[in-house]
Amino acid sequence: MMSQAFAAAVCRNSSLAIRCSRRTLSTAARLQRNTRHLAASAALTKSWQRLPAAASAATGNMQQYVRSYANEKKVFERTKPHCNVGTIGHVDHGKTTLTAAITKVLADKKLAESKKYNEIDNAPEEKARGITINVAHVEYQTETRHYGHTDCPGHADYIKNMITGTAQMDGAILVVAATDGAMPQTREHMLLAKQIGIDHIVVFINKVDAADQEMVDLVEMEIRELLTEMGYDGDKIPVIKGSALCALEDKNPEIGSEAILKLLNEVDTFIPTPVRELDKPFLLPVENVYSIPGRGTVVTGRLERGVVKKGMECEFVGYNKVLKSTVTGVEMFHQILEEAQAGDQLGALVRGVKRDDIKRGMVMCKPGSVKALDQLEAQVYILSKEEGGRTKPFMSFIQLQMFSRTWDCAVQVQIPDKEMVMPGEDTKLILRLIRPMVLEQGQRFTLRDGNLTLGTGVVTKIMSGLTETQRSELTEGKKAREKKEAAKK
Amino acid sequence: MLLQKFLGRTLHTTRRFYAAGAGLEKSALSALRKKTGYTFANCKKALELHNNDISQAEKWLHEQAQSMGWSKATKVADRVTTQGLVGVLINGNRGAMVELNCETDFVARNDTFKRFVDHVSRIVLHYTDQTEFDGDIWKLGFDADALKNLETPQGGNLADHLALLIGAIGENASIRRALCFKVNNDLMLTGYAHPAPTNITTTQNITQVGKYGAIVAFRARDFDDLEVQKGICQQIVGMKPIKIGEYGKDKPAENKDDETCLIYQEYLLDADKTVGEVLKERGVDIVDYHRFECGEPSKRDLKDLLQAQQLNSN
Repeated sequence: MMSQAFAAAVCRNSSLAIRCSRRTLSTAARLQRNTRHLAASAALTKSWQRLPAAASAATGNMQQYVRSYANEKKVFERTKPHCNVGTIGHVDHGKTTLTAAITKVLADKKLAESKKYNEIDNAPEEKARGITINVAHVEYQTETRHYGHTDCPGHADYIKNMITGTAQMDGAILVVAATDGAMPQTREHMLLAKQIGIDHIVVFINKVDAADQEMVDLVEMEIRELLTEMGYDGDKIPVIKGSALCALEDKNPEIGSEAILKLLNEVDTFIPTPVRELDKPFLLPVENVYSIPGRGTVVTGRLERGVVKKGMECEFVGYNKVLKSTVTGVEMFHQILEEAQAGDQLGALVRGVKRDDIKRGMVMCKPGSVKALDQLEAQVYILSKEEGGRTKPFMSFIQLQMFSRTWDCAVQVQIPDKEMVMPGEDTKLILRLIRPMVLEQGQRFTLRDGNLTLGTGVVTKIMSGLTETQRSELTEGKKAREKKEAAKK
Repeated sequence: MLLQKFLGRTLHTTRRFYAAGAGLEKSALSALRKKTGYTFANCKKALELHNNDISQAEKWLHEQAQSMGWSKATKVADRVTTQGLVGVLINGNRGAMVELNCETDFVARNDTFKRFVDHVSRIVLHYTDQTEFDGDIWKLGFDADALKNLETPQGGNLADHLALLIGAIGENASIRRALCFKVNNDLMLTGYAHPAPTNITTTQNITQVGKYGAIVAFRARDFDDLEVQKGICQQIVGMKPIKIGEYGKDKPAENKDDETCLIYQEYLLDADKTVGEVLKERGVDIVDYHRFECGEPSKRDLKDLLQAQQLNSN
């Protein structure tokens, strides 16, 4: 049971591991160049892919590299639920020091690998889905959970991180220095957290060794007030006071390591464990449909979430259709499967539907669990020219092709709060689909224009369906639109 | 909401009794911080120096702000500033465009920073008032050093004001470059900063801020045709033309997506026409334009870069 319990988190994390190994590739190349006397290079090539633990050491001394590459890599054990957190806060308030302190305190308990300040600080440029993001990833675990920890230098980087979805943050640690209190831009930090959908914030008041008790109390009061003002429950949010530096230097344990443990305890309890894909109602985006004489219709695809068993009720949604049916058999690799789980590539035999009723792009799901939509709000990152995007900016009413799961559909774009969007920018867009397709909040998609990828995004809000007139306007040309505008005036 | 706040307050006041009887100073410290916005450490110091007299402490803080800003500014001076904003301000026949940099885009989104962009734009614009000029078009560019020494009507030079800002946001910031324009006779100025909020009626005497900015000097049959003016500005911001171009002298590029002459470029708002055709249709004659992109390498930077590359290759 344990192994399947975390299968869902694997798909979340697999991309992370890939990124790590890519970074390893480049560092390993550097390593080979510098240490020619190291005969074991062939062995290295073999082992680096299995070694995410040592991979994130982007900087640091040579010795360390040699040691970590020469040793056999540790096998990642998945025994605890996974959760993604991140730090936000002012540049001088000690975000990186705190991250380093967390790894150090946990390393003392043999739960993490200690990372030095400068190993985390130089957030390396990563290319996730072809998009450049400045981000530092650290992993550690507490007694109860395993964490992926994200730290980005800027607003745009967090937004890109949200859109590419390599590590969606489930919660955040807001770092504020007791000596300074909230800064003008702390407001922007909280706005960002709201924007990327973080509902759970834990506050760490840092540098209490440089302030006195009343200052610390006042900072707490101020930050609670500000959180309430920004729409968080300021009175309930846990606030922990301590000094990350003391924890790093093994001084004053009551504000050092003990405070860090207290913080981690709050993170463990206050930020809820995300629902695992396996526990959600099942959903299978249809990739292919076959008709097998004597047996019936078979749909194939990768089960995105949930569990499918023989005899379950199901529903096909998409292309203006909703069809009810029953799963009469599940197969994988031409063998009968008792139960298919999220992540499995499978074929499902369904009762009473013809091959022509189902099309690639529909989804097979638990009845009533998803809906087809034709209007949505999304946060989209528009690729710059260097990333393979287009050179020209675009305006409202541009027609694009939207790709998500196994379907694609023509969409009309509306830009709600700007007049045009430049390549390399992130923006809010309202997308109107020419026909309703299965869409949910948090679903990721790509926008293409002709033969190039224009951008990639995530659905942030479901909007009410289009009215008849709105739908007919979708296919209208520019001339007709201008005529209407003129008539209005 | 109100109740919540009230409850929060009572909670904190009760806690005060436990906190080693420091009740009086605490409320003084909190009041001073609320009023002035200076960091807790500095407010505390001010109160200690003035026996908890709030008004004197406040006066002291204001006096110290300049030197504290300077000490912070020197401390963070070598940190790179790659984010920031471009501000565009047009007022009648005068216009100014400035670029300010900071370390993180969080700051660039903050109102304090935006207000400072407005402040600098107005000072640069004010500079145009001091020059007598009656030709057609006059423009002047400032580099970072020149801007630092620019005297302000409020007293002190711009570098002093910048130090105050650095003191407030606790991050390095710099005024990178600025440009001012003045036109006379039958010429007009228009400006645009991207991203711009929709539904703005006038841009006169309002500093527009964004990642990109453009100022255009032009002659027109109808100066109230704001739509085409904005369209041209958007074209310059979006399509990055290198020059205006002249019919007969410049030839259109073979691939229209690589076109660098403004007049031959496809008009963004109507892809069926070129910009040149739109200009003719609306009776607009572009005389000069300038485009700023936040964080783009300046000519000087490019020169440095080239030199560094040459050194490396040697």
